Amino acid sequence: MRHRGGQILLHAILIGILSLTLAPFVFVINNSLRSNSEMNHAFFGLPKLGHDLFSGYRYAWEVLRPYTLNTILVCVVTGLGVVFVGSVSAYVFSRCRFKGKDSLFLAVLAFMMIPGVLTLVPSFLWVKQLGLLNSHWVLILPYMAGGQVFAIFLFKSFFDGLPGELFESAKMDGAGHFRLYWSVVLPLSKSVVAVVAIVNILGTWNNFLWPFITNSDAKYHVISSGLFLMNQSNVSSNYATMFAAYVLASIPLLILFLYATKPFMQGVTSGAFKA
Amino acid sequence: MSLHRFVRDIRSCRVSVRRSQIASTAAIYAMLTPTFGLLAVFSLVPFVWAFVTSFFDYEVGGESRFVGLANYTEYLHDPTLLSSFGNLLFLTAFGLAVVMTAPLIVAKLIFSLKSERARYLYRVLFLIPIVVPGVAGMMIWQGMIYNDTGLLNETLRLFGRDDLTRGWLSDPRTVLWAVVFMGFPFAGGINILIYYAGLAGISESIHEAAELDGARGLMKFFKIDVPLVMSQIKLLTILTVIGTVQGFEGMFILTKGGPGFRTMVPGLWMYMNAFSFQRMGYACAIGVILFLLILSLTVLNMRYFRSSEELTAEAI
Amino acid sequence: MVIVLGLAAWALWPRQAVHVGGAAQELRSSNPRKYTIRIAPGIYMPGRRPQDLGKPLQGFADVATEFEKRYPDTRIEFTEAPVGNREYLITQLAAKQAPDIINVNVGDVWQDVQKGWYVAFDKYLDQPNPFIPKGDPGSAHWWDQFKYQAISHSKTAPDGKMYCITYDMVETGIFYNKTMFKRLGLDIPRDWFEFIQLQQKLKAAGIVPFLADKSAIADWGLDLVFNQLYGSIIPGIKLKKDKAREAHLGGFFDWDELAYLNQKGYFTRRDPRYVQVFRILKAWRSYFEKDMSSDDLTKMFVTQKGAMYWTGSWEVNRLVRDPDVGFDWGLFYLPPIPRSFNRFADGHDQCVIGGSGTQFEVTNSAFDDTNNPETSEKLKRTIAFIQFLTIPKNVDHIVNEILCFLPNVVGAAPKPELIPFDRILQRNFANTKWLYTFDLRFDEILRRMLDLYLNDGISEREFMDWMETNVQTGCDTIVRRKQIDLSKFDARWNELAPLRAGYKELPSER
Repeated sequence: MRHRGGQILLHAILIGILSLTLAPFVFVINNSLRSNSEMNHAFFGLPKLGHDLFSGYRYAWEVLRPYTLNTILVCVVTGLGVVFVGSVSAYVFSRCRFKGKDSLFLAVLAFMMIPGVLTLVPSFLWVKQLGLLNSHWVLILPYMAGGQVFAIFLFKSFFDGLPGELFESAKMDGAGHFRLYWSVVLPLSKSVVAVVAIVNILGTWNNFLWPFITNSDAKYHVISSGLFLMNQSNVSSNYATMFAAYVLASIPLLILFLYATKPFMQGVTSGAFKA
Repeated sequence: MSLHRFVRDIRSCRVSVRRSQIASTAAIYAMLTPTFGLLAVFSLVPFVWAFVTSFFDYEVGGESRFVGLANYTEYLHDPTLLSSFGNLLFLTAFGLAVVMTAPLIVAKLIFSLKSERARYLYRVLFLIPIVVPGVAGMMIWQGMIYNDTGLLNETLRLFGRDDLTRGWLSDPRTVLWAVVFMGFPFAGGINILIYYAGLAGISESIHEAAELDGARGLMKFFKIDVPLVMSQIKLLTILTVIGTVQGFEGMFILTKGGPGFRTMVPGLWMYMNAFSFQRMGYACAIGVILFLLILSLTVLNMRYFRSSEELTAEAI
Repeated sequence: MVIVLGLAAWALWPRQAVHVGGAAQELRSSNPRKYTIRIAPGIYMPGRRPQDLGKPLQGFADVATEFEKRYPDTRIEFTEAPVGNREYLITQLAAKQAPDIINVNVGDVWQDVQKGWYVAFDKYLDQPNPFIPKGDPGSAHWWDQFKYQAISHSKTAPDGKMYCITYDMVETGIFYNKTMFKRLGLDIPRDWFEFIQLQQKLKAAGIVPFLADKSAIADWGLDLVFNQLYGSIIPGIKLKKDKAREAHLGGFFDWDELAYLNQKGYFTRRDPRYVQVFRILKAWRSYFEKDMSSDDLTKMFVTQKGAMYWTGSWEVNRLVRDPDVGFDWGLFYLPPIPRSFNRFADGHDQCVIGGSGTQFEVTNSAFDDTNNPETSEKLKRTIAFIQFLTIPKNVDHIVNEILCFLPNVVGAAPKPELIPFDRILQRNFANTKWLYTFDLRFDEILRRMLDLYLNDGISEREFMDWMETNVQTGCDTIVRRKQIDLSKFDARWNELAPLRAGYKELPSER
């Protein structure tokens, strides 16, 4: 499929699929600039100039701004935490021999299969007992507990693929496991780290139910629960505001994305993503 | 004298080996502590609580009453059971069909492009949808495409087929299809990247060997590419199954399982029982059943879906 | 990269937080006050613009400032906690984290009264309201202040206590496009026959005759039609005579009465009236919009695609303030069903038991200073705040700031545009409120199956199967939960037998 005509056909198909995929988001941006009454009269159409185009954005920003900091804080700390904890455990599962390794590993994986809803109420009552409500930790710690499973899985696949000689030479020098992990394995895993961190951040960014019920104090709200609240309040009928809010909520991720695509793609290609 | 020293050296050697072994084991357990600590506190405790509660009749904030397996047997007679699991089957099957085809095809198309820049550009562009909150995507489909004055209906009206317009999400005949078709053309997100990585991992020599044997185009795709990305397919299959069986937020936002119980899924029924109907014990029983289901499906998947390593080994 | 970080830092740097509520909030002093009362006022949230129309609200904030002047040790804090969301509500109440004063529906409250999550108002209601001057209603008993006594009393919970202060009233009504009616030469119907004919004419003219949300039909539609068909036999089947409520809610059926009647075969497929209720609804459905789950009903009414719109008084706010509404509109109510239309009906006027738009409940957070409602100082102030809120002047200031609801307090008149609703509220109330009688599971199934039935998703036979099972399960559950002994009604049932002998087509007793 290397002929000229073939190439053009490829491009045409891809552009077609791409437009279908991205079209809804274009609509969102378009409609975030129109007012409700415009949308009442014609759903599709360009924004009318001459009225306050950004009123939706102003309002949404006022609501979402304090939440953005919280979200970033929680997501970054969780991401780093998961990377660290996940890679350490993955190293152990991948490179060490000890009794019960396989069954322990399966046990860890099994946690991925617990339906989230099942543990929603008990987790809530439990963190209340622990006194963690209305704090950042109530988000970070459970997210780490959950997110690390996938991280362990990915890191392990990657570590399994590393050649044995790397470790032999370091072991000869008398390195203990932690040294092996820290100086040998981790530097090599940069791209997988990037992937794990990003996948985790994506997951925690959009999670709304848990922050919603555990952090009723507005000081600790995150963006997703902020969006959900807006959806439930009286502004939900104002599409312009809601769409503006969605756009704003996407911007930080978009920025992250711009810088992270390269390492991300490298990480995915590294061979960690297989079962 | 040399023997004495020799024995002493060996003894100290053994001691130091044992010491390093103990240190090594200690290090292992120490390194595993954060993981298991977190899991124990935040995942295990709630799960055990939920499991125990499934044997009780419990209302949040109220009293509880031991009922043994009554919740489980009641679920077997629940009016929503058939539709819930039927829907689950449909959703999973459709989800699997989609995840095994669309992103793979798109990945292959991108892979076949000549220009490296173009390949990079397309991969980035297809990634954009993950940046948008999932809720937003659903609201768009619900509020702009499927609603009465939305894209679908307006297009039908444009072509004069007014009779075919309907509330796509509220008509019992169309709702399930409407729900699964959301996200069309299913090409956004990291799945494409995962498949692309798999394709990139197939060495040139295999391609050349196949071409020498006379394989071309589509046949080559099916005989070579597909088996060699089986690992990726397997991974995505597992994730899709786990995600679909557990998932319910989509239904929750879009249809709440309606109309009637046409789009009910076990996860949503569990949620409703826990929060709306105050039947925590019953909800926990449903959850435990779901967990066992996912567990068994995953085990089956891992056992019987052969990975690409194994397939390569077989081919050789 | 640096630029981006710089921009981000500038954008996100924590500024001096601008509290919601606008000017009045900022005036609030920064010196720490001992008690903070958190209130979730719902639609009256200061600083917000309900339905995106009009100016940001100010009323509640003003009243709060006044209160704080009188109680220097107390601060009022407004919050938009989503108490309408059930999972949020339950988790917060269970953790004693909810706002101190919230506004939720009775349905939610009644489910949970036995858990100690709400504070009962009874002892306060029997006492004077300290803020009312002598001689005015409320100076002897706080109860006297409320205008719509029947509805306010109907909020009494299953345990006999009152957990809700009904602040304002909402009522439903059929809004119609006067301009369109005039153009097509149509009149307001006087009974169901004329109503159907009217809708037929509109349909022929290519307009959607009647816009109704599926919730509206499952709730109001069901109760009204039910009432029309059962009205004439009520004397023979009404088992309880609660003197206290008789004055306000004559003929209202509680769950125990419904459970007993269900045992006797009522509300099953052997009850011809019951079957007819749903048939009437189904026949009527053909005049509704195609998609009954649509969110676009207001849009359709405003853009004149639909001629009539059954919704509540809150719509007045939009119709009066929305500049896009280019037609005259009026209000009427669902016409009675005459005997000529259906053999069971007797053509009397009625209306649904309205709810309140806003009712305030005090939660278990309000006594978290001492964890004992008897000794809590914070609770005293919380109650005082609510009493302060019900002063006619304050009710007027808050409720009449928007054109949605009618004040429930004597001395605060509703806005002129809402007066037609006041007239509707004078009618007799329907005898049932099916969606508030049993539990949420019953509601869920009723709504869903009715929706399917109306939209040809299931046959009448299947539908009646579901309904029978649902009513039976609902009755059984509630009898078990509340441990009611239904045989207590046997005596009265037998007493009424002679009356029943004169009625036709009653379900035969099993």
